[in-house]
Amino acid sequence: MRKRFGQQQALAGVDLEIRPGEFFTLVGPSGCGKTTLLRCVAGFCRADAGEIVCDGERLDPLPPHQRNLGMVFQNYALFPHLSVRDNVAYGLRARKAPSPVVRERVERALAQVHLLHRADSFPGTLSGGEQQRVATARALAIEPRLLLMDEPLSNLDAKLRVEMREEIRRVQRALGITTLYVTHDQEEALALSDRIAVMNAGHLEQIGDPLHIYRCPATPFVAGFIGHTNFLAGEVESVAGGQAQVRLKSTPESLPGDMGRRQAAAAEAVAAKAPALRQAAPYVGGTVSVPAGGLAPGQAVTIAVRPERLSLAAPGAPNAMPGEVEEVVFLGAVTRLRVRTCAGPLTVELHAQADEGLRPGAPVALAVEGEAATVFAADDG
Amino acid sequence: MASHSAAAPAVGRPRVVGDPWQRALVLSYILLIFFFIYPLAQLFISSVRAADGGWTLTHFREFFALSYYRSALYHSLYVGVMVTVLATALGVPLAAAVARWGVPGKALLRALIVLPLVSPPFIGAYSWILLLGRSGWITQLVQHAGLPWAGTIYGSKGIILALTLNLYPFVFLVVSASITSIDPSLEDAAANLGATPWRTFRTVTAPLLMPAILGGALLVFLTALADFGSAVVIGETYLVLPTLIYSLFINEMGGEPAMAATASVVLLVCTTAVLLIERWYISRRSYVMSGLRRRGERRASPRARAAATAFTYGVVGVSLIPAAVVMLTSFFPSSGPVMHPGFSVGNYLMVFSTVPRAMLNSLFLSGASTLLCVVLGVVIGYLLVRRPGRATGGLDALLMVPYAIPGTVLAVALIRAFGVPPLLLTGTVAILITSYVVRRLPYAVRGVVAVLHNIEPATEEASLSLGASPWRTFGRVTLPLMAPGIISGAVMTWVQVISEISSTILLYYGPWATISIVIYQQVLSNNYGTAAAASSLLLLAVFVPLLAFNVWQGEKAAELV
Repeated sequence: MRKRFGQQQALAGVDLEIRPGEFFTLVGPSGCGKTTLLRCVAGFCRADAGEIVCDGERLDPLPPHQRNLGMVFQNYALFPHLSVRDNVAYGLRARKAPSPVVRERVERALAQVHLLHRADSFPGTLSGGEQQRVATARALAIEPRLLLMDEPLSNLDAKLRVEMREEIRRVQRALGITTLYVTHDQEEALALSDRIAVMNAGHLEQIGDPLHIYRCPATPFVAGFIGHTNFLAGEVESVAGGQAQVRLKSTPESLPGDMGRRQAAAAEAVAAKAPALRQAAPYVGGTVSVPAGGLAPGQAVTIAVRPERLSLAAPGAPNAMPGEVEEVVFLGAVTRLRVRTCAGPLTVELHAQADEGLRPGAPVALAVEGEAATVFAADDG
Repeated sequence: MASHSAAAPAVGRPRVVGDPWQRALVLSYILLIFFFIYPLAQLFISSVRAADGGWTLTHFREFFALSYYRSALYHSLYVGVMVTVLATALGVPLAAAVARWGVPGKALLRALIVLPLVSPPFIGAYSWILLLGRSGWITQLVQHAGLPWAGTIYGSKGIILALTLNLYPFVFLVVSASITSIDPSLEDAAANLGATPWRTFRTVTAPLLMPAILGGALLVFLTALADFGSAVVIGETYLVLPTLIYSLFINEMGGEPAMAATASVVLLVCTTAVLLIERWYISRRSYVMSGLRRRGERRASPRARAAATAFTYGVVGVSLIPAAVVMLTSFFPSSGPVMHPGFSVGNYLMVFSTVPRAMLNSLFLSGASTLLCVVLGVVIGYLLVRRPGRATGGLDALLMVPYAIPGTVLAVALIRAFGVPPLLLTGTVAILITSYVVRRLPYAVRGVVAVLHNIEPATEEASLSLGASPWRTFGRVTLPLMAPGIISGAVMTWVQVISEISSTILLYYGPWATISIVIYQQVLSNNYGTAAAASSLLLLAVFVPLLAFNVWQGEKAAELV
């Protein structure tokens, strides 16, 4: 399956291929073009250029009703004047399927989503989760060659969302149906997908499996969008033995785009409140050892470090950054700290045992796990 | 697979693949321009055309110079203002009482209050003549009792009485809807912040209700300005603009078509101004209510509740008098204007023997116009909501104009446009249907637009993605979901068209006299019994579909719960 787009504002040259049986997720902030892409596949809008191919057949010249793609809509779009059974049967009747076939397939689809007992109810009487299941059953009943899902869980509350997420994954696995899923929720994308495409401003940032995208983000955008990330500005000092020594800068101005401005403002506020930190600047200028891949001495870089890859260190330890605890948020399994440093506020996640006695205002030192950090050339952003 | 990245330049919004609605758009434009814009242009032209064919403002100068013409304008404005003030004074407290003070029998009240609105105003006027006219029953009673009877009901007083009782439901309906949409927590919040009940009303409730009150009032003003029926029945020598236009057109001396056109333009300017003011005001002063909770009833003291109940049933009762009187007297034996209490079906036999076709004419014309209105309304409404763009925006603006056009004015315009070959339509059924459809179409479209806005486009997209063709989708999903809106629009169209008189009276010819024309003629020739029987038949034709619709809707509502 291939899709190509070009020249359209909402989609600036997106090219991706979905493998048979795969759960493929488009994720990105609102307005990044993921829904536009999905609607182009479904046939509700036309790309100005490019083609959509499914099993060797061009889809883009076909009107939506001839594409045989199942779609689950964000608001479910159930027909309020039809019963659950008639909703699910709708696509089959449109295909003039004989009524025994319709009956059998409707029952099967409803059984898959555990909703046989509500077959004669009307959509208005169903709960949000049930409506979501009907929408899924309706899309599956036509045995589509591709299942499209447009933020199908965004109208549910948090607990139900996790439940339905597993339900969708179960049904998808059981049927082995190729699925194109759109969401803005990075956690949902990580939990569900075989592969993820991260989109931003109409183009693809990265395609890969969830683990790869989380561990090795290809761009600062991906690093920032998928999971929490701290950005540190620095300069490569030396490269030797597969390791690069990066000297961290005391100010974050050189960080790309928005991240830099936000952190700079925050760092300024910190320095104003705690002049002692400014005097500690030589410490901040410590170095971090990161994998060298493609780095050259003198190069300006941005280092992305996940909160769980920052740890508390003895004050003055090599590579440790001094700071002051600003906020302690206990989340159960982990404790999230917000630490003021001269590189801006950093987020640190500690396992529950490691947070003993930390209070706002406590002085700490942070160690960066260089091996787990991702390094971007500073002009990447 | 080749890449096509260097392709056509980006064009606007993404279009829907395979759209069959473009032709409908073009057709709608053609119909509206031909049957509405062209006649209106002809009307304006004839108001500024001199007898020798040149351009002139003589007609307008004459209109404002002669007190005969000028006074009709003053009369129209006076009646309009009085009716608006009185109808608002009745409608607002009534809405508040029903929504807030726990007046019993709400469902019944809401049903009854609509009846005066759909009853033709000329029947109301005629009924007040039966009661308060020169030989009216109440008049006679008062005279028998030896009390002095000051003045008569004829003229401005009668028109104002008939129209006020006819139109106050407009204010009631609009304000009721607004009151129920006010989130009760807003008033609770004001109270919580330390405002007294009066201060809360003054600073929170009243400002939130103002758009609705003004909207309802302007609607009343517009309708009162355009009224022909009650003015022609009860106004006698008191001419308002619509009756002036009529008398200028149908005159023993051959009529003065140019002056009729001029007066029509003056009236049209007035109604358009009112409509524009309303739109401007509403666009400036509408609030988005975030609350979903329904307005709760306040706990009123038993005395306040009793007073509210008495007031409510009093007003509604009085406004139902005309219909009751007409139905009752239709069974009285009568000769000319004299009626005796008793029972007889003689009046009905008279109607069926003298004007057997009138009822059938009315049914046919209303049926045909309703059907056309529904079809055009669905097509245009669908275009406006689902295919927004510059072209459909123009259509929307074009459709605003017929809102303001009084029937009399449209009739004059249609005669100007289609009274001469090669487009000779006067003296045909087509011109009657045209006038009905043009005037009702905006309402039909607005009804469809309102329902369609509540149907998510995703619902139709779901149907398409499930393999249903665009036409199947329209028939199986869109139409059924629109049905309540379409049918309520159809009922309203039917009700308005069947009791139409202002344009019918100028456009009909002999064999196509409608039931409302018959009533007018019978009142004019003092055959009060026949008039009452014909009026009762007309009221029946109005009330029965309305009642059927309410019953059907009630069941529907219960089904969905």
